[in-house]
Amino acid sequence: MKSDQHSAINYYGHEPEPGISPRENKRQPTPRANAARELYFEAKSSVSMEFPYWYTRRWETLEGEIPIIRRAEALKSGFEHLTPVIYPGELLAMGKAPFLRGSFPMPWLSEAFFMASEDKMYKEAQESGKLTADTFTTMGKGGGNVTRSIGKVISIAGKFGVRVEEMPVMLEVARKWKDRSVDDVGHKYEQLVPGYPEKEAIMRSVICMFDSGYTLPQGREVMNYYYPLQFGIDGIIANCKESLADVAGYPEMDRLYFYKAVIVMLEGIKSWIQNHAEEARFMASVEKEEQQKAEYLEMADRLEWISGKPPRNFHEALQVLWIFHVAVLNEDAISGLSPGRVGQVLFPFWQRDMKKGVIDRERTIELLECMRIKFTEIDCFASMGVVGGVLSGNTFNNLCLGGLTKDGASAANELEMLILEAGISCDTPQPTLSVLYDEKLPEEFLMKGVECTKIGTGYPAWVNNQVAMEFLLRNYAHEGMDLEEARAWAIGGCLETSPGSWMPLELDGEIHWIPGGSAPATSVGVHFLSLPKILEVALFDGMDMRTGERIFPSHGLKLETYEDLWQAFRDYFSRACHVLTLTNNIQHDAWRKISPSLVNSMLKPDCLANGRDIGQKGCRYNSTFNIESCGTANLVNSLAAMKRNIYNEKRYTLAEYRDAILANFGYKTARETGSYSLIDQVPKEDHDRWKKIHRESLAAPKFGNDDPYVDAIMKEWEEWFCEMTHNYRSLYDQPMYACQISVSTHGPMGAVTLASPDGRLCGTTFSDGSVSAYPGTDLHGPYALFNSATCWNHSLSQNSQLNMKIHPSVVKGREGSRKFLELIRAYLRKGGFHVQFNIVDSRMLKQAQAEPEKYRSLLVRVAGFTQYWVELGKQIQDEVIARTEYEEL
Amino acid sequence: MADFKCSDCRFYLPVDVFSGFCKLSKEKITPDTPFCCKAEKIPKCRFCTNYTAEKEFLGKCMGATLAYPDMIAVKCADFQWYRKN
Repeated sequence: MKSDQHSAINYYGHEPEPGISPRENKRQPTPRANAARELYFEAKSSVSMEFPYWYTRRWETLEGEIPIIRRAEALKSGFEHLTPVIYPGELLAMGKAPFLRGSFPMPWLSEAFFMASEDKMYKEAQESGKLTADTFTTMGKGGGNVTRSIGKVISIAGKFGVRVEEMPVMLEVARKWKDRSVDDVGHKYEQLVPGYPEKEAIMRSVICMFDSGYTLPQGREVMNYYYPLQFGIDGIIANCKESLADVAGYPEMDRLYFYKAVIVMLEGIKSWIQNHAEEARFMASVEKEEQQKAEYLEMADRLEWISGKPPRNFHEALQVLWIFHVAVLNEDAISGLSPGRVGQVLFPFWQRDMKKGVIDRERTIELLECMRIKFTEIDCFASMGVVGGVLSGNTFNNLCLGGLTKDGASAANELEMLILEAGISCDTPQPTLSVLYDEKLPEEFLMKGVECTKIGTGYPAWVNNQVAMEFLLRNYAHEGMDLEEARAWAIGGCLETSPGSWMPLELDGEIHWIPGGSAPATSVGVHFLSLPKILEVALFDGMDMRTGERIFPSHGLKLETYEDLWQAFRDYFSRACHVLTLTNNIQHDAWRKISPSLVNSMLKPDCLANGRDIGQKGCRYNSTFNIESCGTANLVNSLAAMKRNIYNEKRYTLAEYRDAILANFGYKTARETGSYSLIDQVPKEDHDRWKKIHRESLAAPKFGNDDPYVDAIMKEWEEWFCEMTHNYRSLYDQPMYACQISVSTHGPMGAVTLASPDGRLCGTTFSDGSVSAYPGTDLHGPYALFNSATCWNHSLSQNSQLNMKIHPSVVKGREGSRKFLELIRAYLRKGGFHVQFNIVDSRMLKQAQAEPEKYRSLLVRVAGFTQYWVELGKQIQDEVIARTEYEEL
Repeated sequence: MADFKCSDCRFYLPVDVFSGFCKLSKEKITPDTPFCCKAEKIPKCRFCTNYTAEKEFLGKCMGATLAYPDMIAVKCADFQWYRKN
């Protein structure tokens, strides 16, 4: 391992050649997609008040109505009043709001976070500790982020722009939801949980990143498009009317209201589509170019047809898929709404069109590229702490490829090859791609996947199909899941293993079993817990030494043995899980009562069949709540350092370690230097006093080197964590499970954490993922890293996450591809759940950090998602640069 | 017409809060660009007979409901052009 202090890059293997190596050449998008992407690059994240205005206006008129009907009427009003906007060249129409990157606040969920800083409500929220994570989050300064107010545009959360004309109504509408939003109602009742002040202290210390129960009440799940594809909107309405008649007046009357609500909501979506058809005709009426005029008219016919009837071809089916995807996004603040196995869902339509000769591969690629642009345009409106600190501005629409069919054969198909091809030619962050790797997948398909990963898109990620199925059967068998059904799974969000079901799509008298999601959000639970911060608080007997606030009661242990330390950590971790599970359940209960899901409920089996929405356990599978962790490698490395240096070899006392941590090992903090990776830090004058203990902390065994000393600690942690999560019950009275992804939380959570015993310095970003090594500490090559990462059984957890950075020259050419595939296989065959790659020269990232304007289209992989470099905050940029770059495999 | 801007026009295609296109000329314009000779007003609350201004950027619809002047009202069933406009 060589660490180039001058350029601050960690290398494994030989030094790279001088000069920045480009990524392997990639193909260009079709002219249509290229034009759309160029427009996207110019567009800024923009807020519109139309939807929330009409939603609120209708809501207010229905005081006393059955809550789910009131919700449906409000959604209907929002959809049918959206101003239709169609952009020239589009083959797929419609979006969240009348801007290219449009989004809007949802004050019925939470009204406080977008209020102006001087607003009293905002101050109250700050005082209650709810916005603490915002304070330590940095948004990306470039790309489509509106980072500061300019002229008649006001910046919100460092990302969204709102016109000054709409700001007053934004605040007025927000005020109407004060004490009535899910946030406020949930907050009122969560305070009844015994020990509630401890929860507030936990949030203020950023031991926990955010309240998931209402902030992102849906998402990190897989869509199911079967019903609109099979029956069309009119067909679903007709089915609901029949079901409504069957249940009216009988016990379990909630079914009546649910069916009625779905009908009302669908009427709104129908109008929304028809309004766009009308706008397409208007655009045609003012268009002079014949081809564009014809395309507008074709679009109008297409939208008019699918506003009621099921799609007739692949293009219409893709448009239906997109419309319902957006419709779900418009009913809640959602991140990680994954389209799932799109290539398998749409394959019957595409195959039929190919046989008829109404589509060819070139047109398919063009459509798929347009789909990529539309998904990339999605924005999620939330606070900076959530949008920046958790999501890095990403929306995690994960499209999965491969896996197995219902009867256990390879599910990869020709359309999926074209999806990969479109991912290569039109590289955009959304939808990100994941290959559900199974030994049965054909070599040609896997090589196409490798070809895509190699060009530096960061996708597809590689996920272990068999490990995921084992996890699902372990956690969903009690709800009726069998092996066949387990094969229908897909990734929800960046990396959440999510249950699916096989749906019988009938086309021309033939049944095609298509996979789709059949469970609610996995975005809800205890999200995220900072493992290094909890260890820090344990070392200081329950105190957060950054703020001087007591977080937990004294543990009363002198920590004279390693077992004492491990016990203190587990006790505090368990206390946090306990109180946060209860408060989260109350928040989500408020959500399901005030703001129940209708669009997503209508789509998910078996809600329509049993007449219950998602919040009433209408889905086939409901055990989706989880406990998420962050900073695993830093926790494990810290425990290893203390075990060796304090307890086994007695080189230092615990008191000496505490002093060194408080002194930040004699360095300036990351906040002082403005740099968030370990190798860029600046020593203070008294550095020499702490030099030895810091050196020995850094020299202690580090995870990622196939070292049994530290890997045993990792195994002990994982087995305990995965088991203890089952002790907590979700709102739906199901046991919870472990989820181990960092997303972007390792940035802001690292920012509030003092130096850690592994030698990491105060304020620097944690290690990413959950089985990634801390940057620069994996010294023995990829296979040693794989051995460490798989020292525990990954099927015990909803996921594990491994990120690697490889220099482009290492995987160059056909031979490089073959070598790369073997590397991926080696990890997955060891039982690894997931691995993803940045194929990039780190020097390019350094240059892009210095000159962002020259790198607008540069993509990098963070932790489960691909994002434009310029839209990442510095905390994450520094961490990605610092990751070990492999110069040889 | 001099008081009107492109974001008041039926032919304005918004891209974001800073800019958009003219549907007729296809030129890139800003929402604050002054009306041209081909411009046509788009239904907005402030062009509606039901709208009453109360303070800057805020008003009432039919004297009772919160409204704001720059909201596009192409899909509002109650929109009626205010004759003086």
